[in-house]
Parts: sequence; C-alpha cells; structure tokens
Amino acid sequence: MFGALFAPAPPPDGALLALAHEFTPRAQSLGPGEALLDLHGLGRVWSGPRELAGALLAAAHARGWSDLCVALASTRVAALVAARGRGGLTVVEPGQEAATLAPLPLDLLDLDEDRRDLFRRWGVHTLGELAALPARGLSERLGALGPRLRRLARGEDEAPLVPTRAAETFECALELEWPVDGLEPLSFLLSRVLEPLCAHLKDRGRRAASVELDLGLVDGRRHRRALRPAAPSAEPRTWRTLILLDLESHPPSDAVQALTVRAEPTPARTVQFSLLDPAQPSPERLAETMARLVEWTGAGRAGAAALVDTHRSGAFVMETFAPGPAGGARTRTSGDGASVTGPPGPRLALRAFRPPLPAQVSLRDGVPVFVSASGVRGEVVDRAGPWRASGDWWDVAWSREEWDVALAAGGLYRIFLDRLREGWFVEGELD
Amino acid sequence: MSSALKDALEDLLRSRRLQSDDPPLRGEDRRGRALATGIAPLDDLLSGGFPRGQVSEVHGAASSGRTALVLTLVARLTRAGSLVAWVDPADRLDPPSAAAAGVDLPRLLWLRGEGRGRGERTLLPAISAVGTLLGSGLFEAVVLDLAGVPPAARQRLPGTTWIRLQRLIEDQPTALLLVADGHVAHGPGGATLAMKAAAPRWSGAPPARLLRGVGAEVREARRSLRGAAVELQACS
Repeated sequence: MFGALFAPAPPPDGALLALAHEFTPRAQSLGPGEALLDLHGLGRVWSGPRELAGALLAAAHARGWSDLCVALASTRVAALVAARGRGGLTVVEPGQEAATLAPLPLDLLDLDEDRRDLFRRWGVHTLGELAALPARGLSERLGALGPRLRRLARGEDEAPLVPTRAAETFECALELEWPVDGLEPLSFLLSRVLEPLCAHLKDRGRRAASVELDLGLVDGRRHRRALRPAAPSAEPRTWRTLILLDLESHPPSDAVQALTVRAEPTPARTVQFSLLDPAQPSPERLAETMARLVEWTGAGRAGAAALVDTHRSGAFVMETFAPGPAGGARTRTSGDGASVTGPPGPRLALRAFRPPLPAQVSLRDGVPVFVSASGVRGEVVDRAGPWRASGDWWDVAWSREEWDVALAAGGLYRIFLDRLREGWFVEGELD
Repeated sequence: MSSALKDALEDLLRSRRLQSDDPPLRGEDRRGRALATGIAPLDDLLSGGFPRGQVSEVHGAASSGRTALVLTLVARLTRAGSLVAWVDPADRLDPPSAAAAGVDLPRLLWLRGEGRGRGERTLLPAISAVGTLLGSGLFEAVVLDLAGVPPAARQRLPGTTWIRLQRLIEDQPTALLLVADGHVAHGPGGATLAMKAAAPRWSGAPPARLLRGVGAEVREARRSLRGAAVELQACS
C-alpha cells in the first residue's frame, strides 16, 4: 500500500516530508506540496487503510493543514493522481485503480502545453479516455511517451519509490565536567569526538571535506577553527593530527570547557589502482605532511611550480601541491613496454637570483668585458648575445637584452640589460 | 596473494622487457633499488644510482653541473610517477629550467626559502622541513640545495644535524641528496659526487654566437678514483 499527500497550499519547505517521516522512513518528496509514502507493513498498527489514512489526515489537521488531500492505493501513481484530483481522503481498493482514475481530468498528469493541446484536439479530456486508447496507436503517434502516458492513466507504476533522506548533520559534541588546559589532554578528548563522527561518515559512505572545531572556553568565549585539507578524509587519526597542528599555531586563549566538531560531508572517493604504476600517496598522509609544513605553506613558499604562458624569463606561479594520477608526463607504447619516453639528457639549469643582482658591466664595442656584482665578479672571457626580448606593454612592461657570459674566474652566468631601467643585472648562474 | 605467486608475477612482468628502473610494484621493498640517473657513465660510477636510505651529496664549484645532474634524476623520478621534494633555502631553483630538464612539475614539491641574504636564516627551518619530508615516506628523493649558502651558516647548524637525518632516513625508501659548493656530509653507504666544470662549448661567430653546453668531470670521491665525463647541453 502506498500513500500520497497533496497540499494545494504548500507548507514550509520540508514540513510535508517531516509529517510523512512520522509514519514511515520510506517517503519521497515530489516538491514542496507533494509526498509519496511507502506504507507496507503498517497493518499491525492500523487495522485498515481507512484508519491509516484517517491518522494521516488527523496529523495534518493537528498542524493546521485542513486542506491536505490524502489518498491510499496499491500503486504510487494511483495514490498520487487520486490525491491531486479527488481531495479529502481517498482509499483506492486494489484492482480499482483505473476505474477510480477514469473520471479525473487529464491535466492531473504532468503534461507540457503542446501535449495537452494535442489531446484536447483529439477530444481526450479524462484519464479514462486516454487509458482506453490503443497502445500501438499512441506509440505510433507519440513514440515512447504515448504508452507511458497510457500506463500512468491506468494507474500503473513505472519507477520505484526513491526515499528522500532528511538532511543529515555530522556533528559531535562533548561537555566537560572539568576544563582542560593544554593540547595533550585535548588530543584524547578529540579522539573521543572524532572516532564516532568518522564512523558515522563511513557508515554513510562519506568523507569530511572540511571540519569546523568549536571550543567553548572557560571565560565564556568561543574559539572556532575551520580546516580544509587538500583531500577529504574520514580517518580520525588524520583529523586529530590536523586539528592539533592547527591548534599549536592558533591556541585557545583559555582552558576548554566544551568542544564541538562539525564535518562537511562529501562522497567517498573511488580509487582505481594500477598494477604497474607506483602507489599514489595517501591523501590523508599528504595532508598531514603539508599541515606539518605550515610554516612554509602558510607563507606561500611551498607547493608545486606551474609555468605561465609568457615569454617573460623565469615566470611561474606557485600552486597547491596536489599531484594527480601518475602517467601525465610519460608516454608508453603498448605491447612490449620497451618504448618509454624518457626525459631529455642533462641540461644546464639556471640557478636564479631572486631578485636579480644589480651589476656593473663594462662594455667594449658594445659587448660585456667585465662583470661586477655581489658575489659575481670577473673578466668576461667568452659570451653569447645579445638576445632581445620584451613584452607586457599593456601592463608592467619589460624589455631586456640577455647575454650568457663565461668569467675568467670560472662560472657561466646570464646577465641582462634592463632597457627600461637602464641597468645591468645578473639573472642567475648556469649550472 | 602468496609471495611465490607474487614473485612469479613480477618475473613475468619483467620478462616482458619492463625496464628495471620502472616504478616498483605495490608492496615491494624498494630499499634495495638505487635511484638511477639515466646517465650511463654516472650510474656505472655509482654502481647503479644513488642509494636509498642514505644521505648522498653532489658538490662542485659554480657552473659545474650540480643542478643539471640532480634535475636529470628528478626528471626521471617524476616522469615515472614518483614524488620528489626540493628544499631550497636560498630560493635558487628555476622552474622553466626544471621543466626543460623534463621534470614533471606537479610532482615536485618545492619549498622556497626567503632568498638571497636570508638563506642562512631559513637553513634551520629547512633542515626541520627535510626531517618532516623524510619521515613522511611519501617521496622517492628529497633534495636539499645548499649551493650558495655561506659555509659559516652551515657550520652554525648543530653538530648532530646530518647524523640525525641519516638515522631518520635509514629505514625509509627515500634518498636524501645534498647539493652544495663543497663537501658537507654523507651517510655510511651514501655517494659523494665531486663535480668539476670543463670549458664551455660555443658555436658560431658574433653576433650569432651560441652557448652549446659545458662538459663536466664527475668523480665518486669515496669509493673509487675513477671518474666520468658528462656533457651538459644548454637550453635552447
């Protein structure tokens, strides 16, 4: 047996579903004013469908919803359409679905304007008239939609009920009889809170994308911290470590009297392991490691460098270190596994000075012959250049002449003349 | 899976000419597998590559190719899907050069110090960060770039620094590489590569003259008196 609730004046969001959940956990919300209920197995509580429907109506009246329509039927479609079309309380006897729905208007089905107009031109106004049409003819004229509408008009179900879950909160709190001061005792309390919270998340197939810690302090103030690691996790040990590392750098101002941990749930990740690729780092372990490097990450001095699309020398941006799946940089031909695209051979790399070292450069016939800068000084014995480059005239313009120079004292350096500042600089050492 | 079956499967996979330096299989003890640089004479000199679980060092004067050599190793590791960390107290790494050497930048964690003149102030936090990175066990190699850091700053470090790092790493499948101007430290089984620059190679006549590359002589300073010559190409 299924039930349907229809409120012509929709109650506040979620109120109808809350009423349905008082009777059964298997209830599906179809919008603010409609809900379907799976009432199987309630025969022991209510002697018959009419008593059950009466109880539903009484509960609605107790909330002040006097216009709520309730219908019970052995199919969901019949219950829903009857609730929409008949008002008050309707109980459709098993086997009587088509007959009960027959006199009801066609508008009760969710039809678009074109279909409604089409049926009106065909002279079909009621569900009974639609149900009486031959399925083959409807299929020929309307495609798959025709037989589907015919089945709905006859009160036949075509999709299972999908229960709507009430919004679930992932929160765990602890009130302390005696306040605790210091991180060590707090770590034990965090374990007591995080373990059931993470178990709850795992039961629901979820991970915590972020965690909010709310500490109630003895002086009545609150100490709130929010943590959002690179990867979601439902490991209590990981979260405890992350929270303790965060509290080390942001300690509460007084002893802790109560603590609450709220998690923002996110679906659990699915990882496809490969037989031949190296094991990827556990996101939890990576998040822990990055949290331990907070002195570097906090200052934006740790991460992965990414090149930017410009000709400006040495341009890059720092991004969060979150390595993706392996195999991005290498290509392997299938089959014998012999052809692996390896890195190029050893190449001279620039060891950059940030910012570039201001230099005094002596020129002869327009070419550098002597370089003097902090830590770099000597006669130029060989050189290549100048290589001119410029750009970003629309923003912070740059224009330079680059030289690669070999000094008599040893060392290869890249120097450049900044044509806008009219000064020489050492960009770096070629090593 | 029983160990015999696993061994048989691994043999089967390798017999299909999967390269010996391919990524280790899941659960395999990697500590015995040295980190090969891919430069044949150098790997020959190192008896296969830089040993894991050991502090090794690459040192030499300016432009001797220290950075190029280590970047070649990093490129090989990151392209195979492994993670590498580069701790850089003096902030000298140049990402475009690393990319040109073939490094897969998203797999390289770069910790940057505060730059010139402040490198010595970030040396102690850098050593602490190396400890954290080694302890995590996530990285195949951790590079600590000390080139350009004044010797006085290194000497102010606690005397047990390198012993502590060696103790930390010896049970890990990670190699710690020190890049420096001169000898710093190495583990009991670690490698010490001393590099010396040869004359740079140029081509063409001005104004179309080009730096083509530089040769480097590499010597394993501890185990043998043999050396190897490595050619370093200039980036185009």
